[in-house]
Amino acid sequence: MNDYWPWWAGAIGLALVTIAYTLSTDRSFGVSGAWDRVLHWRAERELERRQAQDEIEQRALVDALVATAPRGPGAVTPPPRGRNVSLPPRRPPRPASLVSQAALLGSILVGGFVAAITSGRFEVRFDMGAGFSELVTGNPVMMVGILFLGGLLVGFGTRLAGGCSSGHGLQGCGRLYPASLLATAVFFGTAVAVSFLLWKVV
Amino acid sequence: MRTQGGILLANIVTGLALGFTVSNIGFGDYAELNRMFTFQDLRMFLAFAGAVAIIVVVFAVARVRRTPPRIHAGVVPGAALFGIGWAISGGCPAIPIIQVGSGYLPALVSIAGVVVGIRLCRWTTTRYLLIDTGSCGR
Repeated sequence: MNDYWPWWAGAIGLALVTIAYTLSTDRSFGVSGAWDRVLHWRAERELERRQAQDEIEQRALVDALVATAPRGPGAVTPPPRGRNVSLPPRRPPRPASLVSQAALLGSILVGGFVAAITSGRFEVRFDMGAGFSELVTGNPVMMVGILFLGGLLVGFGTRLAGGCSSGHGLQGCGRLYPASLLATAVFFGTAVAVSFLLWKVV
Repeated sequence: MRTQGGILLANIVTGLALGFTVSNIGFGDYAELNRMFTFQDLRMFLAFAGAVAIIVVVFAVARVRRTPPRIHAGVVPGAALFGIGWAISGGCPAIPIIQVGSGYLPALVSIAGVVVGIRLCRWTTTRYLLIDTGSCGR
């Protein structure tokens, strides 16, 4: 009936994506977080500008302190100058830039398109498939309303919870964060309950 | 890979791989999604759970850790709303993008909903709810 990957291939694929990103960049990725920053690009750009300014000022301050520190016997050994001066305590890395977050969303579109073309699933259509028509609604007006409402709940809910299936589900659960385990259990649980209602009742 | 250019490259590669993988697992297919959430077919569930299991082991070995986010007041209600939205529309924030890439044009409406929801969330949390929801993907 379908030409989808077996479960183990999917598991390896999702794990590889997550692990490669984290180990190469020392960061997490989250699709809802990327959306949030891209949609609020004006405020986020201002924040980026301020953070960059702060960093320049702090570096200048450290350099000035090192330059004016007393020397000779008994003086505290100054830390090495320049880029190696670390500013304790270690702060979390700066968020990926706005352009990178927008690139993440754009590349997901291209990746999905390539998958659909190469597997022969690509088809321009004005419905959401037989499953949606049978289980939710076959009426086009209702469909638009439900998709919008569903998207609204997804957007609002993921940001209120601080993450989605990638940020909480893969990255957070992978680190065994209690908040992520809780969020994943709750969103999976409610999705199961609503799906059973749609399947058996509605 | 920790310069801004390196991160841009990593985001592009990750987006391509994520879109390709999620589409080929079948998360963009509403029928498959409902079969997963009603436990009629555990294939996609095992793909997700298996991925988490692999990530847990690798992150533990590589000692990947950072300060865990707090369990703030928005986690449970937010996740509950997300679960309802996912079950009725078939989309998490990445899936409607993949659906559009597969030719499902109505998924543009889901994306519009996500856009409005995200903007509404920041507006209400900063103005009324006053919950610091932390950050995701930073």
